[in-house]
Amino acid sequence: MSSTDKPGDTEYRPTSSTPAQAAAGVDYFKFDVILRFLLFAASLVSVVVIVTGNETKFLPLPRPAKFRYSPAFVYFVAALSVAGLYSIITTLASLYAIKNPALKAKLLLYFILWDVLILGIIASATGTAGGVAYVGLKGNKHVNWGKICNVYDKFCRHVGASVAVALFGSIVTVVLIWLSAYSLHSRVPK
Amino acid sequence: MEGEHKRMSYGVEGVESKEMGKAVGVSACDLAMRVLAFMLTLVAAIVISADKQTKVVPIQLSDSLPPFYLPFTAKWHQMSAILYFLVTNAIACTYAALSLVLALVNRGKSKGLWTVITVLDAFMVALLFSGNGAAAAVGVLGYKGNSHVNWKRVCNVFDKFCDQMAASIGVSFIGSLAFLLLVIIPVVRLHPRTW
Repeated sequence: MSSTDKPGDTEYRPTSSTPAQAAAGVDYFKFDVILRFLLFAASLVSVVVIVTGNETKFLPLPRPAKFRYSPAFVYFVAALSVAGLYSIITTLASLYAIKNPALKAKLLLYFILWDVLILGIIASATGTAGGVAYVGLKGNKHVNWGKICNVYDKFCRHVGASVAVALFGSIVTVVLIWLSAYSLHSRVPK
Repeated sequence: MEGEHKRMSYGVEGVESKEMGKAVGVSACDLAMRVLAFMLTLVAAIVISADKQTKVVPIQLSDSLPPFYLPFTAKWHQMSAILYFLVTNAIACTYAALSLVLALVNRGKSKGLWTVITVLDAFMVALLFSGNGAAAAVGVLGYKGNSHVNWKRVCNVFDKFCDQMAASIGVSFIGSLAFLLLVIIPVVRLHPRTW
């Protein structure tokens, strides 16, 4: 399968290839599979790290800190679990498409559609958990919300790492959308 | 499918201009959606930046002294999450305006532009959704507080401020849905027979 002209071309140059080849664009499906697996890894790591971040401090009564105590973190875990499940399904779909090349064009459309929805979910989860974690880190004297990270350091480290990995996951999703859009754009003949 | 591909070219052969409307590029729906996204994010940014409420709270130090009244002001810049929300809405608003101008100027002339604009639209979806999430999380904390870390709720006192913030978040959410549709609709239009 030959690839069509480079994206920088804006001239109306007709493709000299046969009609069967005119539909073939750049094929980045192997890269797509790798990125989707990376997204799955990021989601898994995020969920596991925040769920295992329970910490109990004695002040003097035992006061635990768990992700379940904040609805923002609960939403974060739920959203990233959905993203992890989605990434498994699409990794398998992408692998299947490498075997059956006829499906590729259709799959690219579905990928862009679902990727952008999942991007919204992951990004909102990252923003939610990040916002609450920031208040926990710095506190807010205007509303008298004290910071907790000076006390619960292990919990805060876990939450911080989890949010950072989720941010990486959302960047991976943007790159996935870029890949699908670029592949799709190269398939529309000039 | 091949014939449809051929029809969906960027050629300015006027006969195919109807099919061009379905193709990758600029369509009336696309432009309308960008205008909508611009207006919604602008409204959200303005509403949250104009959000201010002052309440005079009586503070009683002891029973013998009379209570003295302190004015407390709630404003958007006191919370970092709301600042982030405002910044993301401002960025999205600017991008909507710029991409509107770009789409009007470059009616299908440059094909590489579609990829860039799609990716930037997706990036704006992510940015707006994260801003909404942060502001919503802080808003829920303001409404309910969190007993486990002793964060008391503030929306019983600053009710107007909280309501206005909720409205702004709602408007921004619809704006982010507009950006979402901006990514999805051209993709759907590209292969209408697939659906």
